[in-house]
Amino acid sequence: MSASFTKSTARNIFYGGAVFFFLLFLALTFDTTQALPKRDNRANLTEQVARGKNIWETRNCIGCHTLLGEGAYFAPELGNVYQRRGPEFIKAWIKGQPTGAPGRRQMPQFHLNDGELEDLVAFLKYASEIDTNHWPPNIEG
Amino acid sequence: MTTAATATLVPPGDDASANVQLKYRSQAVAKPYFIAAIGLFVGQIIFGLVMGLQYVIGDFLFPEIPFNVARMVHTNLLIVWLLFGFMGAGYYLIPEEAERELHSPKLALVAFWVFLIAGALTIVGYLAVPYATLARLTGNDILPTMGREFLEQPTITKVGIVVVALTFLYNLSLTVLKGRKTTISLVMMLGLWGLAIFFLFSFYNPTNLVLDKYYWWWVVHLWVEGVWELIMGAMLAFVLVKVTGVDREVIEKWLYLIIAMTLITGIIGTGHHYFWIGTPAYWQVWGSVFSALEPVPFFMMTMFAFNMVNRRRRDHPNKAAVLWALGTGVMAFLGAGVWGFLHTLAPVNYLTHGTQITASHGHMAFYGAYAMVVITMISYAMPLLRGREANGNRAQVVEMWSFWLMTVSMVFITLFLTAAGILQVWMQRMGDSPLPFMVAQEKIAFFYWLREAAGVVFFIGLVLYIVSFFVTGKSRAPR
Amino acid sequence: MASPVEEKRVPGDLAMWCFILAELAVFGVFFLAYGVARRQAPALFAAGQARLHLAPALFNTLLLIAGSATAAAAVRAFSANRQRAGRWLLAATLGSGCVFVVVKLGEFAERLKAGITLSTDTFWMFYLSLTFFHFLHVLLGMVILAAVWWMAGDGRYRPGSLDGVETAAAYWHMVDLVWVVLFALVYVAR
Repeated sequence: MSASFTKSTARNIFYGGAVFFFLLFLALTFDTTQALPKRDNRANLTEQVARGKNIWETRNCIGCHTLLGEGAYFAPELGNVYQRRGPEFIKAWIKGQPTGAPGRRQMPQFHLNDGELEDLVAFLKYASEIDTNHWPPNIEG
Repeated sequence: MTTAATATLVPPGDDASANVQLKYRSQAVAKPYFIAAIGLFVGQIIFGLVMGLQYVIGDFLFPEIPFNVARMVHTNLLIVWLLFGFMGAGYYLIPEEAERELHSPKLALVAFWVFLIAGALTIVGYLAVPYATLARLTGNDILPTMGREFLEQPTITKVGIVVVALTFLYNLSLTVLKGRKTTISLVMMLGLWGLAIFFLFSFYNPTNLVLDKYYWWWVVHLWVEGVWELIMGAMLAFVLVKVTGVDREVIEKWLYLIIAMTLITGIIGTGHHYFWIGTPAYWQVWGSVFSALEPVPFFMMTMFAFNMVNRRRRDHPNKAAVLWALGTGVMAFLGAGVWGFLHTLAPVNYLTHGTQITASHGHMAFYGAYAMVVITMISYAMPLLRGREANGNRAQVVEMWSFWLMTVSMVFITLFLTAAGILQVWMQRMGDSPLPFMVAQEKIAFFYWLREAAGVVFFIGLVLYIVSFFVTGKSRAPR
Repeated sequence: MASPVEEKRVPGDLAMWCFILAELAVFGVFFLAYGVARRQAPALFAAGQARLHLAPALFNTLLLIAGSATAAAAVRAFSANRQRAGRWLLAATLGSGCVFVVVKLGEFAERLKAGITLSTDTFWMFYLSLTFFHFLHVLLGMVILAAVWWMAGDGRYRPGSLDGVETAAAYWHMVDLVWVVLFALVYVAR
């Protein structure tokens, strides 16, 4: 059995394939953009949520926790922490850090004031209401 | 046997100790890039060890270095040292492929110092002040881009990365445009341009978390499972052309085919990140179907590396570089291909998403694909940059020891994390009474200890790797 | 379409066959996923399938098969150095592709008007994904055919140098093959 195998065909398949699948990816992205308003809880994207997201980011929460399963795997998932713990527990928990329990994983003290805590909780509430196709499997995240 | 075409590629070197000149003097700018890459690699591993210990002794170095800071340093150093490696590789291979001197060696050196100082300042910033303070000092409020995984750099650092990348691309593009255009240099440039272009999505940070995450993957996934694979393929092909003496035409057509498969599977394969972040459910099917085939290009790359070495027309005295090249093929396939496939199908990923399974895959894939391909390039180029075709026998033996220590310990790190991940999924995600996160973590601490031990071995391997640069002695290649 | 020049030769370019294999693998996994999803929700799939129009789909199937036949005939024509016939046969394949595209666009337009999207339900997700993904392949196949038709103008495809036209024909056969399976699986099997 013999077959020809030319660099020019391989090259054409590379360029053709790359363009073809990138265009397809853009088409799917377009459809996703159309479908998102029903899923991404944008109705509840308030100013407060935006401030909360900024606090989430500037305290690098993702460096230990996961949010919708993405982030570090050192500390619990927070995409559903609003349902798991409730707003009051979350605020008290953040205020009470670090626990200082010897040998236990420690969370830093971020010195957030009451308004900032409310903002962060609002962000976590908003995140918890995104339609994630029923992920995580259970409340423990 | 040796045709006129390959004869030009093959230096007459029987004697590796002969004083070998670089083909183009400006290739020498690659040297500081490679040295910086190795230095930052050491930093990355030290912080990895710190984190590994924090996994089992939670308050280790707290509050001086909280886990999130250590992780940020660990992952950012990884990205930066790989970028240094890619840039060094670019500065080394593009002049040789284009058959002309680099457009501006001076610009390359200036960019080196800018990048190194900016990188160092950023790391110092992470360690010296609280992250929120760093955000305030660097004006994050003007254009908030910080605080997202792997993109933690202050906005100003991100701008710096873009500027450095642009000078680098400008420098190399002009070199290629004025010189010989080969497939290897074309693919390398495509990959590097893609790297710069997709990085621009790191500046887009909408409040809408779903959109934020959707486009965040355009940086992260389209880098590591897209354009970086082009860079990796080009680097591997370059080294294989050099060390095997196989006809360039053969290597280049396989390169095209492999990267074609990479993009055919990898672009839509982005969908495997869109299962549970608020994006429509159809991504579960599209993402699973395409990413199920993502191991194919990695498998082709393994076959490619072994085939070319088997068909070699010369025995290059740099055995260590050949070992690294073959190792890259195998480990990239295992880490990115097999370990990626393990949890890429939506029904499996539903249970494993965001667990130690992800961490295990991340470790072996990054080491096997990108760390190893950069080391392959360094292993091949560094002796030449130091005026010899290959290192002496003793140095190469030490380097090969470091290869095996690092590679085997990485396999064990991956296996231990996989075991930890399976137990975590079992306890925390399955069954009628799932355990809380921290309870499950305590039950799998044993595997974290084993992982840390494997990490120490990895570090020893890395130290040995550096030692190999200083080993002198008989300059005869190992037989 | 064994070439008379050599025995036991793979027609066309090996790189294309790698591509075809990858494409078949993608469609194969897609069909497998369809089968699994259908088993999980037979009633939903039955209801969706009931709304599909068999006649235009059957017409399209025949079109693609006819196009495959003319593509194969084109290779034979070029291998006999009948240049004009070869080009006309390629054009015929291209024409069958065009009609397929028009019919398919009509079907998509109808779904779009009915407000059906990828997110409607699992059946329509698969229906749209599979048919649209295949539709794009028809377009790609037409681009390849058009390029080969154009290049054939200088008489480069002669006995013994048929790689280009064989490569294009092989791709078109793949597009045809996938459609036949898709037609059977999505439109017919109920």
